[in-house]
Amino acid sequence: MTKKQITIALAGNANVGKSVIFNHLTGLHQHIGNWPGKTVEKAEGTLHFKGYTVDIVDLPGIYSLSTFSIEELISREYIAIENPDLVINVVDASVLERNLFFTLQLIELETPMVVALNQVDMAKKKGIKIDCKKLENILGVPVIPTIAPSQVGIYDLLETAVNIIEKGDSTPSYVRYGEEIEDKIQELSKVIEKIQLPYPARWVAIKLLEGDEQIESKIRQTDPNVLVKVEKLAGQIESIHGHSCTTVITSARYEVAGCIAREVQQIVPPAKPPMRERLHILTTHKLLGYPLMAAMLLSVFFAIFSFGDFTSGLLSDIFYSLEPIFSSLFGSGVVARLIWGGVLEGVIAGITVALPYLFPFYLMLYILEDSGYLSRVAFLMDNLMHKMGLHGKAFIPMMLGFGCNVPACLGCRIMETERERLLATFVVTLVPCAATSVVILGLVGAFVGVQWALLLYVIDLVIIFILGRMAFKALPGEPTGLIMEMHDYRIPHAETVVKQTWFRLKEFIKMAFPLIIVGSFVIKLAEVLNLLEPIADVLSPITVVWLGLPAITGITLIFGVLRKELTLIMLATLLGTANFALVLNPVQMFVFALVIMLYIPCIPTIGALVRELGWKKALFITVFEIAFAIIVGGIVYRLLLLANIL
Amino acid sequence: MRKLELPLAQLRDGESGVIISINMTPRHRQGLHGHQWGFQKRLEDMGLTPGTKVMVIKSAPFHGPVELQVRGSRLAIGRGMAERVLVRVEK
Repeated sequence: MTKKQITIALAGNANVGKSVIFNHLTGLHQHIGNWPGKTVEKAEGTLHFKGYTVDIVDLPGIYSLSTFSIEELISREYIAIENPDLVINVVDASVLERNLFFTLQLIELETPMVVALNQVDMAKKKGIKIDCKKLENILGVPVIPTIAPSQVGIYDLLETAVNIIEKGDSTPSYVRYGEEIEDKIQELSKVIEKIQLPYPARWVAIKLLEGDEQIESKIRQTDPNVLVKVEKLAGQIESIHGHSCTTVITSARYEVAGCIAREVQQIVPPAKPPMRERLHILTTHKLLGYPLMAAMLLSVFFAIFSFGDFTSGLLSDIFYSLEPIFSSLFGSGVVARLIWGGVLEGVIAGITVALPYLFPFYLMLYILEDSGYLSRVAFLMDNLMHKMGLHGKAFIPMMLGFGCNVPACLGCRIMETERERLLATFVVTLVPCAATSVVILGLVGAFVGVQWALLLYVIDLVIIFILGRMAFKALPGEPTGLIMEMHDYRIPHAETVVKQTWFRLKEFIKMAFPLIIVGSFVIKLAEVLNLLEPIADVLSPITVVWLGLPAITGITLIFGVLRKELTLIMLATLLGTANFALVLNPVQMFVFALVIMLYIPCIPTIGALVRELGWKKALFITVFEIAFAIIVGGIVYRLLLLANIL
Repeated sequence: MRKLELPLAQLRDGESGVIISINMTPRHRQGLHGHQWGFQKRLEDMGLTPGTKVMVIKSAPFHGPVELQVRGSRLAIGRGMAERVLVRVEK
């Protein structure tokens, strides 16, 4: 044994229990980051087994290896180019046919692999019995039955995997298509074999016939003549079948998957529908589904925010009680003020604002997603979300945005394509969060009237619909409707959920905290250097002339970047009174709250944006929203003056 | 008399059909590949290939998505997509 370091990738459909297996394999030795240059999550971990250091890479849950989503592209590039020593294909035994469609594509990639036939217990409950030996023979790869939550088969799986790697030279079998397609594939592979490519020739041949754009462009660079041949062969297949070659091959592959599934499984459906089936019918019911959803989400929402509110208050009391101790130790010189106000207060803001909400949010999100309820909510809300250019899945992050934009942005990764993720994240940052609500209710609600506060929410929703639609039209790429599997309800695996929550939280802290600290340091520095008033003066053409606000509000707008409720607190401090009616007229209050509502995602949210979308897009959204808020604020100010109703 | 060939979206709850083809609106018919390719490929990758039997379990209200039973699994597809999948209704 010379090679002590091996890499194993986990691949499979979404919701097949892949992450549970990943967690059992890697325990606490995992790291969650992004794929280089991509906003797709990459989970890695290590374990030690029989003298080997095994790196486990958890590939995204996908249904195919085409180029529909970045996840699919990443997965196939990873398998073909990075060449892991082995791929463990996690298969849901209760939905065998669909899962085998993916397995067949992995086999086509000619990578050494093992199939983990997972959730055999669930399959059994559905009356599905699978002959593992038979499946193994047909596929030509080892098949290990597993029940991930109770760790059944995990050791076996790892042992088989290592055995295969040790043996080396496993000759993978491959899927045989119908004769007329098979001939063309063979003919094409012979030509492709002569070209140097990082992929198996047969796979390239199949992909070319399928019309895969990425592979096509690679071939175009090396040997464009091949494409002429592809065109000819594809044309022949099309004339035989009367469908496009892409369709024919996909159909054929599903045909094979279906045949195998029928061959190896026996189905005896249970006499009466099981509990989870009845639960599905109830939760997607035309009438009952909606009140149930409202009750469910409201209680989740309430749970998250009462926990967050309580913990946030508690933590902030604890931290601020340390302030006198700090100043007694370090005095109140410039440096001490910078450290406390700039660095430590930034940390405190991060800990007290983001974490108390983020932790329960992640926990709930994973529970809802893992159990399968999230897909039912998406099913019910799809139509409404389409009105703003999104689809059903975006509803959850959007709703969470009303509490805090940070988890909402991070939650947008449940969207499939990059385009949708960007759209959803953008829309979410426009949703008024709890801190914004403090300003809206505390200023407009308390001093102008509740109906005016409500009007602000209505304006915001209208803006969300309009901007959402505009972004939907403007963004390049293909709009995708909802296509999702609604897997059977199941009880989430507690350990996996907790670990996922913890590792995501850690990742967020690493990403966002430096930003929060730098942000608060800069603002504090400006304050210490007495730059705030000059800045307010510089801003006065906007604040005073365009928005009709007192110049001093410029300072509060700057502080609002840290956390939005600070704007109100700062306003009270700077004006020396909490009775805002004395210093602001109703129009000013309304405009002020409107601008606060729209003007910028706070620094923690910007941190989340950077994490999810990268610097460029985060910056663009931030700048856009500042400009937009100012423009809308000024227009509304003039309209209110004209209408003379406030 | 109902036609025998209908968009999937027009099937009643509990009815099944066999997929004939996936029709593109002009918006999706851009170029040889591009838009059309992605849209159609996505549906087919999820198992909605011509010749496949699908059963409509139910539709969400307010013209929401359609719940399907296909290839032993349960799928939800948006109504706009279901409008473009042509099926032969099975009696």
